[in-house]
Amino acid sequence: MNTVKQLSRGRFLLDRGASLPLLLPATLLVLVFLVGPFGYMAYTAMTDLSYANPDQNGAFIGLDNFRQLVRNDPVFWDSFWLTIRFVVASVTVEFALGFALAWLIWRFIERQRLLTTLLLVPMMLAPVAVGLIWRLLLQGDFGMVSYYLRAVGLLSQQSAVFSTPYLVMPTIIAIDVWQWTPFVTLIILAGLMSLPKAPFEAATMDGAGPWRQFIDIMLPLLRPIIALVLLLRGIDAFKEFDKVFILTGGGPGTVSELLSIYAYRVNFKNWNLGYGATVAFMVYLVVLILCSIFYKAVYWKSPVGKV
Amino acid sequence: MNKSWKILAIGILACVLVIALTPYLWILLTSFKGRLDILSPDPRWFFTPTFSNYPEVFLGKDYLPLVLNSLIISISSTVLSIGIGVPAAYVFARTDFAGKEDLFFFFLTTRMAPPISIAVPLFMFFTALGLTDTIYAVVIAHTSFNLSLVVWMMRGFFAEIPREIDEAAMMDGRSKLGAFVRVVVPMAAPGMAATAVLCFILSWNEFLYAFILVAFEGRPLTVGIPGLITPHGTLWGQVAAVAVVATLPILVFTFLVQKHLVRGLTFGAVKG
Repeated sequence: MNTVKQLSRGRFLLDRGASLPLLLPATLLVLVFLVGPFGYMAYTAMTDLSYANPDQNGAFIGLDNFRQLVRNDPVFWDSFWLTIRFVVASVTVEFALGFALAWLIWRFIERQRLLTTLLLVPMMLAPVAVGLIWRLLLQGDFGMVSYYLRAVGLLSQQSAVFSTPYLVMPTIIAIDVWQWTPFVTLIILAGLMSLPKAPFEAATMDGAGPWRQFIDIMLPLLRPIIALVLLLRGIDAFKEFDKVFILTGGGPGTVSELLSIYAYRVNFKNWNLGYGATVAFMVYLVVLILCSIFYKAVYWKSPVGKV
Repeated sequence: MNKSWKILAIGILACVLVIALTPYLWILLTSFKGRLDILSPDPRWFFTPTFSNYPEVFLGKDYLPLVLNSLIISISSTVLSIGIGVPAAYVFARTDFAGKEDLFFFFLTTRMAPPISIAVPLFMFFTALGLTDTIYAVVIAHTSFNLSLVVWMMRGFFAEIPREIDEAAMMDGRSKLGAFVRVVVPMAAPGMAATAVLCFILSWNEFLYAFILVAFEGRPLTVGIPGLITPHGTLWGQVAAVAVVATLPILVFTFLVQKHLVRGLTFGAVKG
């Protein structure tokens, strides 16, 4: 295998002359429309630009915004920790439930096609539509889910979920779990299906019970896929905007104001673009860090690529 | 013993399925309900259906052009990202050059970038170009994030086609580009179709870029949704009708590409 690779490495099928025109348009497009804006954002973050205040016309102020953000902006930090709690809670629950479901399907169901297809429905819906659906279901006066929550005593008569502050975040997490658990199930199931049979057969012969096999064989073999699922979900959850925007808009007050929503408010409600760019930059930074962990941990050179 | 475990498992999975599907079923039902059935405090599962919500919102409130906008945006950004991304993916699969993996990672970061971070400067950029509030702005934004999905997915599909195929085509007298266009691309067609459908779905479902870049002219269906919700007197029948039209085509598409879905959702890392 190695020699074959070395041989073909010597003679490229495309030389540089042919690859450049094929690669250039894609690179240019990304440079102009993603890196360009990103650079501009980084610059704006160092200005005092604001559309709401005519005195702040974009003068360069260096790292003042970052200093302000880190030292003097409790709203940002509340929002930051809220986002972290949201990510950890929803991804943990999604992972536990999703893994259990995948295992049940893998172990007990022979004809999986229809079942997995139907399970996919929540995650393929536009997130905005998901927000809308749950807003209708949780309406105080006539929401279907509110009605049954009251019927079993989980919600008091006169109250509505989204006007009861301590219920807001748990509900948003529950909705995220409803939408994204199938994602975990689908990918873990793909991992389970590709497990080699031999180690399990050998373990059975040696008299290892199902629990030992799960801990000692299945989990280690699935580790790359587990890392992948956790990172992809983590990155996605960290960026959450659409559902929460429709469900609560960040409220009541700032109870559900995740980082993306806070960045939106600073930019497009307060029109404080310099400071808004600083917030957006910080969001990007966290995602970039998660993203490089993803790349290092699970991509090309890892066993996942061969699954 | 084993049999009863199996029945228990099927029971659990059946409950999960009910939880997963009922909310969608409810919005489907609501789109056919009259006002009184919707506002009834106890949920009405059976009712006399009305078909007036759909014409009222799509014709009466002029939401039909939004469907058209959604279609134009999704189709053009899909065609563009496939057209630009597939050749790039081929280069990634077939050649080695300094910094290749770095460039490849760079494409990933663009896909993962939080929309709020990119949309804000993109908004200023398009304002300077006079392109905000036009369909072009959204098409360009969607193309640039779908492009990396294409590059990542198609690299994997091309890598699965043996290099000997390219070489054989070149022996038959085709040029390098000729071998790519006439031989390799047709072989990768199923993977390309799946990638295209995924691009379409992601563009169709996308909200934040479109929401920031277009306020009125050229707004897609997802952006039209919040406008229907008012603090008092939201017409939920119409909202439901819009939600159904915004989601039903995607569900049909999902069933078409289910085979490649795992791969698409993991950027090609898991070949489901």
